[in-house]
This record gives sequence, structure tokens and C-alpha cells, in this order.
Amino acid sequence: MKDDVTLARWLNNEMDEKELKEFEQSPGYATYSKIKEFSAQLTVPQADMDSLYQKIDARKNRDTVKVRQLNPWLPRIAAMLVLALGAAYFFISTHVTSHFAQNAKRETFLLPDNSQVVLNSGTEAEYKEWNWAANRRIELKGEAYFKVAKGETFDVVTPNGTVTVVGTQFNVKARNGRLDVTCYEGKVRVTTANKEEIILTPGMTVGFANGKNLQLPNEEGDAPGWLEYETSFSKVNLPDVIEELERQYNKTITLKGITPKSPYSGTLPMNDINTALETVGTIYHLQATQTGDTIILTAE
Amino acid sequence: MKTDIPTGICEELTFANFFRSHAKSLRNYLYYKFGNEEQAEDVTQEAFIKLWENCASVPPEKAKSFLYTVANNTTLNQIAHQKVVLEYSKKSNHSHTDTQSPEFIMEEEQFKVKLQNAIAGLSEAQRSAFLLHRIDGKKYHEIAEILGISIKAVEKRIHGALQELRKQIDNIR
Repeated sequence: MKDDVTLARWLNNEMDEKELKEFEQSPGYATYSKIKEFSAQLTVPQADMDSLYQKIDARKNRDTVKVRQLNPWLPRIAAMLVLALGAAYFFISTHVTSHFAQNAKRETFLLPDNSQVVLNSGTEAEYKEWNWAANRRIELKGEAYFKVAKGETFDVVTPNGTVTVVGTQFNVKARNGRLDVTCYEGKVRVTTANKEEIILTPGMTVGFANGKNLQLPNEEGDAPGWLEYETSFSKVNLPDVIEELERQYNKTITLKGITPKSPYSGTLPMNDINTALETVGTIYHLQATQTGDTIILTAE
Repeated sequence: MKTDIPTGICEELTFANFFRSHAKSLRNYLYYKFGNEEQAEDVTQEAFIKLWENCASVPPEKAKSFLYTVANNTTLNQIAHQKVVLEYSKKSNHSHTDTQSPEFIMEEEQFKVKLQNAIAGLSEAQRSAFLLHRIDGKKYHEIAEILGISIKAVEKRIHGALQELRKQIDNIR
């Protein structure tokens, strides 16, 4: 039995006489012929084909009714809506409102709770309008005056510390690592970058330079001087005073060959550059030379 | 293609006739395959439902092969394969049996039992091919169509099945 289909050919009566004779002599023949004989008598358990057909018939009619195509646009429209809503939510919830006052400019705006904010020259403020009631928070770089609506609270976050307020008027100045806060009405809590907390009452001013309390004297008046273009300085280093003048007048001012010893305290006008320069010049014995937008201050 | 005629397999009568002529073979084949009557009937049902659902796209001459393709592709959460139980037909048409000695009849009965067990012990592929030939009287080319294999492959399976059965019965190891 070299060929692997001979038995199949025999079972199907395809052998010729010679082949058959040969096969009948082979040792397995007796068993094979019995297998052939008895396997033909085998039967399979009968199935109830009529009831099977009825089951199929019932299902095929039910299923034809059930097969109803959805409008293929519906899921697409639904998906688009979900996407659009998601995008809108993301956009609105992360949308940041920013205000910026350029040099020699001021900017006034209202917060969602109608608190008033006045940005001094060269100042940037950012906040989120979304969910303002639960997240009253303004990020400030520069100087601003806040007139907060009664009963409203919020945080002014600066790189040098956080100012928390309750229905009040106050000024925040955060420049070059220094933070000055003056309270004009109500109460203000100042938390410095190294977690020092100070509560201010009206008239009090607090100043920090690089985390150190400068022990500033109380301030007169019921609003910061800069609103009226009469900026007051309290223990401010000369380079910082010069920087403020640059911002207010939008000029480039250079100090030449001077190492200022004492910080400046006093007021300077911000709408009259000649008077301002004269005042500084008198105190520090400086000579001002102006060419275009550049002013050079040299020692007398 | 008879696609212009709106009837085809989709027509109730054609479908019913098609069922009558093919359902039993399919069910038997599935029984040889699964060794379980219930599964055989479930898959038969599934295959005919699939054919009905696709009646518009399956031309009548392709319906049979469609049916077996669906059945072959239907995988079940197989319960443990059960033993294929087959009976011998009661009416034996062998005239000589009643003249034989009781010993001979007993030997015959023993052989029948051995054969039943040996068939149950065949591989699914060999058993399906062998029983389709022996019980359903299918031609090799029909079996080839049902199993989706070549005629040569059917012959190999039948040959292998016979060898295996003899080994089992004669206790050749």
C-alpha cells in the first residue's frame, strides 16, 4: 500500500479486478471488508427537521422586520456635536483674558465681578473668565491698582508673592524681585514667596525685596499717587526709579559712571519729564543730556 | 446569473425546497463534526438564517457552498467534544445472518461495538469524510465540496480513516 488513497479507491469500488485480487490477499483485508460492510449499516440519530425548519422560518421573518438601517448620518452628527461641544468646553475653560498696558500707557478694565483694575505702564495681567466665581485669581506682572467690589475676594498672584483681598482698594507693584502692596480700604493679606503672611489695614504699605521686609512707612492718601501721575517711591533703588521713569515716559535712560548709595524716597511727576529729571538730578547730583528718546545721566 | 428574477432563494418556496434537500446532510455533517446533536442543529439553523439574510446576493447555484462555508466558519463555544453515537440499522438485509451460528453472531456484535468505538476515536476530519460517505452515501466530489477541500484530500482522509479504524479494531499499535 504505497499509494495513500488505495483504500479510498477500494471503498468506492474503483479497483479493477487485478487490483482487487491483490488487495484481497493483503493481511488487513478481512477487517477492511467488515468495516465496509458494517459501516454501511450505521445510522445517525434522527433530527426533527420540520420543527427545525419552523424555528428558522420564525426567525427569518422576525429578523427581516428587525433589520432596519439607522440613518447613517445620525451617529456622524452625534459624533460631530460631541466633538464640537468638547472643543468649545476646552476652549472656553482654558481661555485666558489678558490685559497689557504698554510703556507710557495705562489700562483700566473690569473683572467679571465688576471689580476695577488699573494697570500702570508696562504691566501685564491675566485671568480666566470661565468659572470666575470659583476661581478668582489674577496673575500680575508689574503694578496695578485694584478697587474690589464689596464682598468680593480674589487672589493677585505675582512672581514674588500672593495678595488676597476682601472688598478693598489696594495697590500691588511687583517688579524686579520686589513686591510692594499698599492697602487703601478694607483688608489685604500678603503671602510672600517664602510663605510669610502679613495682614494690611488701610494706610499700611509693605515691601519685600528678594524675600526681605523693607519696613516701609505708612502711606498717606486714599489712592496710589500714580493714578494722578504723582508716583511715590519708598526706599527704591535708583536703577528701579530710572526704570519706572523709562516705563512712564517711554524713553531710554542710561546712568553713566554712577554707583548710587542710598535708595530714593519721595514722589516724582509722571507727566513732566523735565521736572522729574531735575528732581532726581538735584538729589543725586546728576546732569541729564537728551538726544531724541535717549537720555543720559552723568555725574556733575 | 438569475438576478433579474426577483425570486431566487429569497422566495419562500425556493428557500423551503432548498432546506428540504440540503438541511439533513448539513445537520448530519455537523453532527459528525461536533458529536453533539444540539450544536449540529443550532449551527444548521444559523447557516440557513445567514443564507436567508443574504439571499439577494447569493445565486441559487452558489447557495449550497455558501451554506457549508458559513457552517464551517461558525465557531462555537465548544462544549467538550462529545462522543459520536451511531446506531446500526435494525433491519439487516444480510440473508445469511439468520443461518449463522450463535458464536458467529456474537463475534459480529463484538465487531460492531469495536467499530462504533473506533469511529468515535477518529479525528474530526477523518470521521466527517468517512461518515459522509458511509452513512449519507455522498460521492467523494460531494464531500470535497462540503469540506471545502480537494477530491484527492478527501481520498487521503478516507484512506487514513480506514487505516486508523483497522488499527483500532485489530489492536495494532
